Amino acid sequence: MMLLSIALILLVIFGAPLFTVIAASAMLGYQKEGIDLMAIAIEVLGIAGMPMLSAIPLFTFAGYLLSESNAPQRLVRLTDALLGWMPGGLAMVSLATCALFTAFTGASGVTIIALGAILYPALKQDGYPDNFNLGLVTTSGSLGLLFAPSLPLILYGVVAEISIDNLFRAGILPGLLMLVLLSGYSLWVGRNTAKELAPFSWKELASALNAAKWELPLPIVVLGGIYSGFFAVSEAAAVTALYVFLAEVVVLREITFKDLPRVMRESMLLVGGILIILGMSLASTNYMIDAGVPQQLLAFITEFVSTQANFLILLFVFLLILGAILDIFSAIVLVVPLILPIAMQYGVNEFHLGIVFLAAMQLGYLTPPVGLNLFIASYRFDRPIMNVYAATFPFLVILAVSVLIIMYWPDLSLLLVPD
Amino acid sequence: MSEPRGLVERLERWGTAAENAALVILLGALMLLAVGQIVMRMFFSIGFVWADELVKLLVLWITLVASIAASRSDRHLRIDIVSHFVPEKYARFPRVIVDIFAATMCGILAWQSWRYLQLTIEFEDTVLIDVPAWIAYGLLPLAFVLMCYRFLLMSGSDLMRILRPEAGAGAPK
Repeated sequence: MMLLSIALILLVIFGAPLFTVIAASAMLGYQKEGIDLMAIAIEVLGIAGMPMLSAIPLFTFAGYLLSESNAPQRLVRLTDALLGWMPGGLAMVSLATCALFTAFTGASGVTIIALGAILYPALKQDGYPDNFNLGLVTTSGSLGLLFAPSLPLILYGVVAEISIDNLFRAGILPGLLMLVLLSGYSLWVGRNTAKELAPFSWKELASALNAAKWELPLPIVVLGGIYSGFFAVSEAAAVTALYVFLAEVVVLREITFKDLPRVMRESMLLVGGILIILGMSLASTNYMIDAGVPQQLLAFITEFVSTQANFLILLFVFLLILGAILDIFSAIVLVVPLILPIAMQYGVNEFHLGIVFLAAMQLGYLTPPVGLNLFIASYRFDRPIMNVYAATFPFLVILAVSVLIIMYWPDLSLLLVPD
Repeated sequence: MSEPRGLVERLERWGTAAENAALVILLGALMLLAVGQIVMRMFFSIGFVWADELVKLLVLWITLVASIAASRSDRHLRIDIVSHFVPEKYARFPRVIVDIFAATMCGILAWQSWRYLQLTIEFEDTVLIDVPAWIAYGLLPLAFVLMCYRFLLMSGSDLMRILRPEAGAGAPK
């Protein structure tokens, strides 16, 4: 058994598709308990039994459509008209647009590709130091993860079986905290960029608003609809997907019908990858919960850790390591069912835990050696990976500080969550 | 020599086209059905029991078709430590092994879901009120068979490139 586990770990390290390894571990468990292996088929079909899951393909499709259209340019122009007149303004423009865009496209790396190409040269032109720009753009790719309707938030809610609406509310202030801290750093770095700032112009703002008129209703309808409780999450996803399709394909025609199957395929590749892992892990976690793994883990941890504060430290370290090796989606699916009951024992609120988990996993996008954004940025901007590591480091530290604040200040997450 | 290669290429093209067509239809149906449900709820205050179930089945089918597509495009989620830090030449060798492993697992999954499928036929399980369940679940073994085939193909082509590096340039990508 021990030997087989080591073999499975080696397979993971050498790049076996995660879903096959999870399937193997589930089936090994079945074998041991004398359960018919056929049960794994039933568990995978459990995908068809999960509520709210339709939100994931629908939001992902909408996000890919948006990123393939000219919406990113219009968004940058609009935020620039709003914030560009301030010193350090352009850096804040980058942070704000990326956060909004990531929330809508689900933190899958498309932000760096869609927005980075616009923002990186613009920052350079405004006289920001090059490493700062690289770090900023790389970091921004996963900023906004805590804002509705980002995919990791939805997936967390589905897996943990808690109210996604409340999770959305819990993410607002912690997400803003990250934005504020990073903006502060940007202001500090940008305090003596020589370039003269364009004054605020009502005319430019009106014209930017006009250019973005088809996208403007989107955040209002979606966020307003969700936060007010008018739409369920899956309904908001359906409305968003249909609306974005009508706006970008039918009205603005920035994506042709001929191109549509390609965009659909691209977006669904990500969805298939996430949901097949979800299906397999339904099998493996059910087995682990039956076998009492969470209780054993809890018993083990309580030997060393007695207070909630210490438990949170342990959790932080664990999530940092987890985030550095595993992508956020697989991590949610595999780990949340196991740590949720343990965290409950330490009296951690389930929504607070969700936000802590996702905020810490956000660091994982930027943690060497395998943080996803680091590689996307290295590839996209044609810079050596070591260079990207170094450029991103200050941002990583700031985000780590904000994760610690989020962790030890539960009210920040829970203030907006109704009891 | 050129005949079988032509056949394989045609199969690849048709396969991709079939995946894309299926994804377009399923995603389009999901979008329309989900919006339709909202309209029905808001303006006519009615809902259909089967609509909710069909939405969930559509998500299942999208998952399966997209997984097939992801194995063709090599986009399944993996922990990719080795390939980032080891020269491509050496990274191929473990890839052959992990892809054979993946193919084996998909084969087992296909076999187990095939057994389950027969059980649902035997017990006359139904979905969507009175549709035989095997129609909805039939995609499951098929998906794993296709993924098994895809992973075998990938490990085969990687093995070929290890054995005959010079031939790699001409191989279809």
